[in-house]
Amino acid sequence: MPATTEYQGSFLGRISIRRNQVMNMDGNHDQELEDIELFQRHISDRFADLLSSSQQQQPSSSEEASTPAAAVDPFLSINWLRKLLDVFLCCEAEFKALLIMGRDPSQISKPPLDRLIPEMLDRAVKALDICNAVTNGIETVRHCQNLAEIAVTALEQKPFGDGQVNRAKKALSSLMMEMTGEDKEGGSYARTWSFGRRGSAAAASTKDRGHLHLRSHTWSVSNNWSAAKQIQAMTANLQAPRGNDASGLASPVFIMSTVVVFLTWTMVAAIPCQERNGLATHFPVPKQLVWAQSMIALHEKIGEEWKKKEKKGSVGLLDEMQRLEKSAHSLIEFADNFQFPAEEERVEEVAAQVAEVADTCRKMAEGLVPLQLQIREVFHRIVRSRTEILDVLESTGKVSAPIV
Amino acid sequence: MAGFQSMIPIHEREQHVIAAAHHILKALGASKNLSDDMRKILADLDVHLSIMNGHNESNGGGFIEIEKRLKRAEINVLSWESSQTMIWDSGSREFSEYLGAVVEIQTVKQSLGGLSVIENGKVKECLYRADSVLQMAMSRLEEELVHILVQHKQYFEPEYMSFHSCQEDLVYDESFVSLEDESVEETHQIVSSDDLSREHIVDLIHPRVIPDLKSIANVMFASNYDQEFREAFIGVRKDALNIVILAMEKFSIEDVLKMKWCTLSSEIKKWIWAMKIIIRVYLASEKQLCNKILGEFGSVCSFCFVEIAKASLLSLLNFGEAVAMGSLRPEKLFHLLDMFEVLSDLLVDIDSLLFEEVGSYVRIEFHELLRKLGHYARATFFELRSAIVSDTSVKPLPRGGIHPLTRYVMNYIKALIIYDHTISMLLEDQDMDCSNAVVELENEQQVSSSITSCALACQLRLITSALECNLDNKSKLYKEDALRYIFLMNNIHYMVQKVKNSDLRLFFGDEWIRKHNGKFQQHATSYQRATWSTVLSFLRVDGSPASCSILKATTPKERCKEFSIAFEEVYKNQTQWSITDPQLQEDLRIANLKVIHAYRSFLGITRISDKHIKYSVDDLEKLLLDFFEGSRRSLRNSQNSHKR
Repeated sequence: MPATTEYQGSFLGRISIRRNQVMNMDGNHDQELEDIELFQRHISDRFADLLSSSQQQQPSSSEEASTPAAAVDPFLSINWLRKLLDVFLCCEAEFKALLIMGRDPSQISKPPLDRLIPEMLDRAVKALDICNAVTNGIETVRHCQNLAEIAVTALEQKPFGDGQVNRAKKALSSLMMEMTGEDKEGGSYARTWSFGRRGSAAAASTKDRGHLHLRSHTWSVSNNWSAAKQIQAMTANLQAPRGNDASGLASPVFIMSTVVVFLTWTMVAAIPCQERNGLATHFPVPKQLVWAQSMIALHEKIGEEWKKKEKKGSVGLLDEMQRLEKSAHSLIEFADNFQFPAEEERVEEVAAQVAEVADTCRKMAEGLVPLQLQIREVFHRIVRSRTEILDVLESTGKVSAPIV
Repeated sequence: MAGFQSMIPIHEREQHVIAAAHHILKALGASKNLSDDMRKILADLDVHLSIMNGHNESNGGGFIEIEKRLKRAEINVLSWESSQTMIWDSGSREFSEYLGAVVEIQTVKQSLGGLSVIENGKVKECLYRADSVLQMAMSRLEEELVHILVQHKQYFEPEYMSFHSCQEDLVYDESFVSLEDESVEETHQIVSSDDLSREHIVDLIHPRVIPDLKSIANVMFASNYDQEFREAFIGVRKDALNIVILAMEKFSIEDVLKMKWCTLSSEIKKWIWAMKIIIRVYLASEKQLCNKILGEFGSVCSFCFVEIAKASLLSLLNFGEAVAMGSLRPEKLFHLLDMFEVLSDLLVDIDSLLFEEVGSYVRIEFHELLRKLGHYARATFFELRSAIVSDTSVKPLPRGGIHPLTRYVMNYIKALIIYDHTISMLLEDQDMDCSNAVVELENEQQVSSSITSCALACQLRLITSALECNLDNKSKLYKEDALRYIFLMNNIHYMVQKVKNSDLRLFFGDEWIRKHNGKFQQHATSYQRATWSTVLSFLRVDGSPASCSILKATTPKERCKEFSIAFEEVYKNQTQWSITDPQLQEDLRIANLKVIHAYRSFLGITRISDKHIKYSVDDLEKLLLDFFEGSRRSLRNSQNSHKR
């Protein structure tokens, strides 16, 4: 995780600053302002990096995989998401240092923090459920990867005939089913198995028996849980601090909450996830906030993509999945019109597409499991921070309402 | 085989050899009980011979033979394409014939691929045809596979999934009213009902169909359709596991954190049960099923198993994560310890189920959760003491009986030592802190045996001394000293009884018991003094001015009257006080008899005439029996009944 090490220095530096500060109570307030400013600057820098890395590349064309520019991780690709997770982990560590290290607990239990922190912890809990839902969604993505790999195996054989083409077509059709069917699923086992010609009389007549839709989604979260609603709830009470509060600790609490919302929202938009219908694209961050510029730009960019794809029952904005979807479409079209022997020209075209799918599959094979692990790391980190903050609050004995 | 080929020189005689070999192959092939592998080898050989033959005849006669065989296989495969029934359902002969046809296509493909005449248009076309038929067959076998897996799934024994219903729990609330002495025993039924201490294998798929599933696997893997097999197999088995898991309602972390304790407690019990069932029975069986079907394919087998199990295991683990995130409340401890124990118990199983690299992620999560639960359980255990310390009352407990806090704490620790092994282990990390505190606590106490000096024992004594301290504070709320002593005596006596009559005595030791016996007896004595010293002063006969200075009454008659009034007052008060332990009640009444002695000798010495005596000695003796019954009586109302 290169990004982590990159920020490590400044983070550790900050800790020592804090320690000194405890010793020396003079100029405490100035020091705090300086810390908050530094935190804002880091947030700004990190998201600016993410934004710039996502601007260098336009959405793919088929040749792109082979061009040197491919070294940059495409916007919303697995590696890009991993970078985002790294950014989150850095921000989180820095935030926690700012909020609780060397601090007199009573400071974070008075207004407005006595309200803001419980709200933030509530968001943290929701974020945990989203992490789980997304981790589960990655299983769907992996299933798609496996299906795409079958198509690659079939079409990489040279020369290929009806057998290979049919094999690829079958796998790709299942892939499309998997991609489009995601949101309406949820434990409908009976339906899942009523496939095929021998399963039911109605299906018997369709020649589409190639569609063995094997996977029924079981969500990791409770049945009526909805990612969209959770995001909605996390955003609902998110308000930029105003007046005097804007210069105090309320500001980093707001920033961190914004980062959490941005991260979870992006993951939900990118990766198949339980109930994303009506995922809000509103981001309640005032545009004049300097540190939020890049984040707002990213949010708008993702929001636009989401609006474009949402209608189609999209599988999510994950770059690799988008690529698979596109290639699958054209390969299915090819397969539908395939007649043996294939024309030389078409074969070359297909070979290029297959190479691209193979490349995407390779990226998925390399990146998906690490992505899952990293989301789990984020999960554990959020749990740990929540506990630490609760411990501090409890030590003041001023937790009036039980915190969820 | 290559060697075999090269050894034969090309001349006339080889024709005969080939013909002979053919003959032998046919004879062998006729045998019914050939293994798939064997059949494949023979078919292979057959094709090679034909090709050699074809080469030699140089007119493609062998190729024609191959083509014929492909045709035969093709007919078999195609005939099923239009059929509405599953091949497997049609009979085992049909099924093995179909598999035979697929093997035939594979061999045909292989031999064609090996032909030097591959560029030959006819050969090439034939190869494509073989591919195409093979694809049809594979697609078909995938369906058959799913069909068999679904149709012959053995329903997971329902009694395994019948979760225990919600039982009464220790609830630590402000009023402490919910606790009865004996309810504690019931909370641990789940431990005693543990008959799943070992791995238990069941058939998740009817054993009869396993060989056929294995044949499908072999054929699909041999045709390089292993990806399709894997996806189908994992998909069906994953769903089967999901249905089992669905017997448990799924909760988001948010749900769990917001859950009422009663609900959470019953969900925890279900979880503990489900963990055991799923890991010891279901997954152990699943692993075996994978081994039976895919054991020969090495890492594929463990890959499939992990893929099947992963999501469900993680969702089970997430429930544990959510529980371990909750607020620290003493009543959770037993459940946490149950969870901790079941997890650490299952660790061996998990480590063996997921020992390969592919499962390491889940395995690590498992260890991580165990660590968290241990930490959380320990923190919860310490929470009890803080809860005791911070439990404050504003009003004294009426009647001076046993405070609910005392009952709660003593029953709590009595129940806790069922987990002595686990909790001792958890406390080991904290040994340092504890032993310091105990040095202070027990400076005058000789530590006799090792168990009384273990970390748990130390903690238990710290808990009871916190309790004593709290009781002492509570006792100060009483305005009457005598009632204060009754309260302390009652509560300490209760503590001693709880310790003496349970395994707690092993942790507290005889010394503690002796010391606390002494304490409550001390309180009993103090009670006597506080109650009777003034009353008895009326009965003094020496008449020394010092002792009587506060008394206006100086004549025996008046003093007797004053005594009666004072006694009535004590009676009115102390009949409503409560001593629930019959032995203790008896002891204290006997001790109170000294008033009778004093009264009797007073009457004897002063010889007051009967008409001035309100209560006879016998009356008093009877009246003393009404003390500590916990119901208020007044002599002015009930006097008549007593006089009779």
